[in-house]
Amino acid sequence: MKHENDIQHRVKKKFFDFTAILKDAGIELSTVEVMDMFEALQYVEFNDKNAFKQTLSSTLIKDYTDLPVFERCFERFFEKKTGDSDNFLDTLIERSIDQLKSHDDQKITDEQMIMLQEQVEKFLDEQPSESLFEKTPEQLLSLFLESLEESSESGGGGLGFMLFSSRGHTSSPGISEEDSDETGDDATLDDDLYQMMLEMLKNRRNEKTIGTEQKKHDEYLLNKFIYQLTPEEIKEMRELIMRFGQKMKNRISLRKKKIKHGSLDVKRTFRSNMQYDSIPFRLFYKDKRIDRPQLIVLCDISSSVNQYSRFMLLLTYTLQSLFSKVRTFAFISNMVEITELFREMDPERALSSIFSDTDFTYGWGSNYGNSFNQFMENYSDSLSHKSTVLVIGDARNNNQDPGMKSFLRIKERSRNLFWLNPDKRHLWDWSDSIATVYKPHCTEMREVNNVIDLADFVDKLFVKK
Amino acid sequence: MFDNVQHVIDQLEKHKYICSRDIATTIYLAMKMQKPVLVEGPAGVGKTDLGKCIALALNMELIRLQCYEGLDEAKALYEWEYAKQLLYTQILKDKLSQMLSNEDTLTDAINKLSEEEDVFFSDKFLIPRPILKAVASPSPAVLLIDEIDKSDSEFEAFLLEVLSDYQITIPEIGTIVAKHKPFVLLTSNNAREMSDALKRRCLHLYIDFPSKELEEKIIQIKVPECGSYLTSELIETVHRIRQLPLKKEPSISETLDWAKALSLLGCEVLKKESAIDTLNFILKYEKDIELVKKKSDDIFIH
Ligand SMILES: Nc1ncnc2c1ncn2[C@@H]1O[C@H](COP(=O)(O)OP(=O)(O)OP(=O)(O)O)[C@@H](O)[C@H]1O
Ligand SMILES: [Mg+2]
Repeated sequence: MKHENDIQHRVKKKFFDFTAILKDAGIELSTVEVMDMFEALQYVEFNDKNAFKQTLSSTLIKDYTDLPVFERCFERFFEKKTGDSDNFLDTLIERSIDQLKSHDDQKITDEQMIMLQEQVEKFLDEQPSESLFEKTPEQLLSLFLESLEESSESGGGGLGFMLFSSRGHTSSPGISEEDSDETGDDATLDDDLYQMMLEMLKNRRNEKTIGTEQKKHDEYLLNKFIYQLTPEEIKEMRELIMRFGQKMKNRISLRKKKIKHGSLDVKRTFRSNMQYDSIPFRLFYKDKRIDRPQLIVLCDISSSVNQYSRFMLLLTYTLQSLFSKVRTFAFISNMVEITELFREMDPERALSSIFSDTDFTYGWGSNYGNSFNQFMENYSDSLSHKSTVLVIGDARNNNQDPGMKSFLRIKERSRNLFWLNPDKRHLWDWSDSIATVYKPHCTEMREVNNVIDLADFVDKLFVKK
Repeated sequence: MFDNVQHVIDQLEKHKYICSRDIATTIYLAMKMQKPVLVEGPAGVGKTDLGKCIALALNMELIRLQCYEGLDEAKALYEWEYAKQLLYTQILKDKLSQMLSNEDTLTDAINKLSEEEDVFFSDKFLIPRPILKAVASPSPAVLLIDEIDKSDSEFEAFLLEVLSDYQITIPEIGTIVAKHKPFVLLTSNNAREMSDALKRRCLHLYIDFPSKELEEKIIQIKVPECGSYLTSELIETVHRIRQLPLKKEPSISETLDWAKALSLLGCEVLKKESAIDTLNFILKYEKDIELVKKKSDDIFIH
């Protein structure tokens, strides 16, 4: 009943489906990886789940920061379907059909069922990806039936004929008024068959959208206005930021290494060639000085930016762990250095101890002026012509002195001064915000209130030089 | 050659390396596919040891190249022995001038001299370095390129060439093609990311901290004097400690050190006091030690 070739073909397709899902999820795959996977699959037993999974991950995933994404896609694509069964592949092919069989035993043969499944897959593959998300399964089904009817009219594939010849009811259940209009009046078919096909479509659609959903979820989080993140989402964010942070770090160090060779190192060349009578057999070059920016972060953690500041602190924490020379300060109306705190603790603990142990003078609201003054008094040693200062806050100064003199001195004594403002641009002078008082003196004031924007900013700051 | 995934596990265990099914699968595949493996993971999870034990298990020569910043082709591939060449030139001075005495012009002399160049650029004066050794080896070898992330990207590009055709051209001598492709293992601590091209050439293996079962086996095989009761208690504890937000999590090598220390002290059960006294075997930062002390009631049972 099963033809070897047929099965091989279906299996192959499953794997292509899986790689497509990974790509949807944002993992870069080239043909080399996919070909390697197929080669490797010859050598492993499919009844060994670990080996099977590892075969896929070690051939397809080249960046370990992508492993969690791979893991999730794998779970959803393979494990749901195969459960605890012994042989992955058999179940992979058969389970989808077995599940459906219970709906109907006589009306349709196994071969027809497989044919139908293939048609459904083909149909969905041809749909534009947005419509997979936007249309309901019922809508998709009626489109599918339409396409079947067309193809059976033109003589191709007797499937449509077979389905509609076994029609039972006059009107299909589950198809709402408008939908049945689309389908046409004569599209009536058996209840069980209808449900079964709907099931097929749903399964297949869920499968196809695994990767995209994963990516959409990440993007949704990354783009979400930070004020609106829920506590659970913040937890998820943490993992995501770590992942992004690691990627960013890797990318930066990759570029750093690329700008190395500089001019001839005469001293070293001379010294090491002494053994050859000072005939310069081997030349040595000076390494070009690698630009390691020194970062000074001043973060407003007052209640007006509460959610935001927790989040920004988390990012600052990540920054600090990414770059060796970072000093971090937090303020409300007092400026406090928290570099050490961050160095010693994980962010969660550091964040809670910042808010419980340290004296930023709560309740008084932010005082940028006082904080800048204090910064100049106590920490001006951290500034040099190499340092980039990053002020993070909404500049809502509670109508107090802006401390312009100190602010300008901070600017003068550093190379760059960037201000990341979580408020939307049109709110920059709203209420007690004095953003535009500071703005002309900054290298740049930027609206940053989601991770994508921040990553963008950091990327420009450190990478593109 | 390994017969199957299980065979990898069994053979490595004979050489006291306990590997997970995941590790074994990738190694088995890489051998079958004749591809290098890029091994990544935290410090001390057995990346280097894996290479060594594979060589032992297959009775192959282990050729190791330790990478560092500034590592260049001369140190990885081959080097001319300039000093020796110079010395020979000195010794052969008379012979050379005698040979050149009949030449009238400088050009003639140089032409004559260059006819003899081969003598100086032959394998007599060649010092082979690990990669050349691995390629020229008469029997298949394991080439362990350790901590590739410490090298520069120029070196990586050069390595990529070698890994694509397993042949080395020495202009003065000729091209050496590998009789047997060496089995290549590259390890990295993620100090920087490898280029896409290199990653494409390799299978990827990420080694994480082991499961309790595996780590227990590692201790039993490496520190048998640490009884099975103490071992399992120790592993439970280490795994609880790894859950804490630490600056640096203890790795397998630290667990091994701890096991050795505790058995030297004659412990049979893991008492809280002796555990705390010896925390510095598994934790390198004062802060981490303090944290564990603070949570000691949850972490230590006795
Ligand atoms: N799976 C294992 N079985 C037996 N011993 C192991 C295992 N993993 C690690 N070890 C032991 O742990 C120690 C550290 O291993 P190794 O030096 O290979 O780690 P590594 O990953 O190369 O670390 P690094 O990144 O610091 O170079 C060694 O003594 C090794 O024998
Ligand atoms: Mg090592």
